[in-house]
Amino acid sequence: MFQIDRFGRVPIYEQIIDQTQRLIASGLLKEGDQLPSVRALSQELSVNPNTLQKAYSELERRGICVSAPGNGRFVTGEAARIVGESFLERLSEIQQISEELCAAGVSFERVVQTVKIAYGKESKG
Amino acid sequence: MIKARKLTKRFGDVEALVNLNCNIPQGCIYGMVGANGSGKSTFLRLCNGVYRPDEGNISINGGEVFDNPAVKEHSIFVPDELYFLPQSNLERMALLYESMYPHFSKERFGELCGAFKLDASRQLNTFSKGMRRQAATILALSAMTDYVFFDETFDGLDPVMRNLVKGMLYDDVLERGSTTVITSHSLRELEDTCDQLALLYDGGIVFESDVQNLKTTLFKVQVAFSQEFDRSLFEELDLLAFNKQGSVANLIIRGDSAKSKAIIAGKNPLLLEILPLTLEEVFLYEMEALGYSFEEPTPKGGNPV
Repeated sequence: MFQIDRFGRVPIYEQIIDQTQRLIASGLLKEGDQLPSVRALSQELSVNPNTLQKAYSELERRGICVSAPGNGRFVTGEAARIVGESFLERLSEIQQISEELCAAGVSFERVVQTVKIAYGKESKG
Repeated sequence: MIKARKLTKRFGDVEALVNLNCNIPQGCIYGMVGANGSGKSTFLRLCNGVYRPDEGNISINGGEVFDNPAVKEHSIFVPDELYFLPQSNLERMALLYESMYPHFSKERFGELCGAFKLDASRQLNTFSKGMRRQAATILALSAMTDYVFFDETFDGLDPVMRNLVKGMLYDDVLERGSTTVITSHSLRELEDTCDQLALLYDGGIVFESDVQNLKTTLFKVQVAFSQEFDRSLFEELDLLAFNKQGSVANLIIRGDSAKSKAIIAGKNPLLLEILPLTLEEVFLYEMEALGYSFEEPTPKGGNPV
C-alpha cells in the first residue's frame, strides 16, 4: 500500500506519513482499519523497522492512529478530520500555483474553471 | 550499547583514530561513512578486539573488548579482507563458528546457504570473490550474535542478496534487539538501511545523527526578491551556505523548515521554494560548515562559510 521512492529527496519517514494521510483523505483507509505491522512493512519495503516505528509514532502523536498493544495499530475516528485540517495547509500551494499562472498571463476565469472541474461543479471541456 | 571514550589508535606516525567518542545504542543499525583512510576499518577492528587501543577505551555492554572472550562471543565481524581456514568449506567453517558462538543457528545456516545458492561442501578457495563475501555473511548471520559488524560488505553483494541480508538484519532488530554497525561508501545504501549515521573524518567522528533529523533539520531554499538582496537579509536564520546566481539565491538553512519558511515569506519574496536535501548534500554541507571539503581545501568561491 506504500510506494517508497528511494531516490527522491523526501525522507522515507515523511513518505510513509504523507502516504498514510493521503489514503485516509481519499477514504481508502477508514476508521478502525488496521495499519500494516512494522515487521511486515519492513520486510515488504526493505526499510529499517526503526524508521517505520518513528513514522507510526508521529501518526499516533497526530491522533491519526492508535496502537492497541498486541493487536496492532488502527485508524482513529478523528483521523479523517485531522488529515482534512492538515490539508488546509496545502491551500498555500494553490496560492503559489495561482500566482505563477497569473504571472504567466493565464486568465482568472480559466483557473476558477479548473478548480470547479476538480470539485465536480462543472463538466470538462 | 557500544561505548568508545577518547579512543586513540596509532600506526607508527599515523594517527588512525584520535580521541574518538561515541555511543551506539542497542537495537539500532548504525552506519559509518568517511573518506578512504578516515579510520572506519580501524574503528571496527577496535570494536572487535582485533587491535588494542593505544589510549582510551572501547566497551560493549560495559565490558572492555580487547582480549575478552566473554564480550566477543556476542559480536561478529565481517572484515573487508576475509579469512577462511585453508582448504576448508562452509560446513567446516560452520563447525568452527559453532564452537565459538553459543547461539549459532544451524537452521539459519542451512536456510541461508539455500537462499544464497551456495554449496556448503565445496572448497571455499574455489569460490569467486563475491561468493566468498556471501559465505562470510552467511556465517556472520548464523552466529546470531547481539552485535554484527560489516566492513563494506554490503558493497560487494548484488541487489537481491542485499535485500535478503537487510531483511534478516531488520528481523533481528525486531526480534532480539540486535545492533548492527555498517561502513560503506554508498550513502544511498546507508540511508535506507540505517537509523543512525556517523561521519568519520581524520580519525574522529565529525558528527552523528538520526537519519530523520539529518534530513529534516537541513534543507535548501530557493528564493528571489524584486529588490536587490544579499546574505545579510537572512541574519535571523542559521545559514550554512548562500549562493546567489543572478536574482535567484540558493540558501542552505539549518532549523525548522516551517518556521524558516514563514520568516522568509514575511520578506515578500517573488519566489520561495523549499527543497529537501539528499543525504549526500547534507554531508557535503556539514563538512563545508566545519571547514572540511573532500575535493578542495577551501570552500567554493561565492559560497563563503
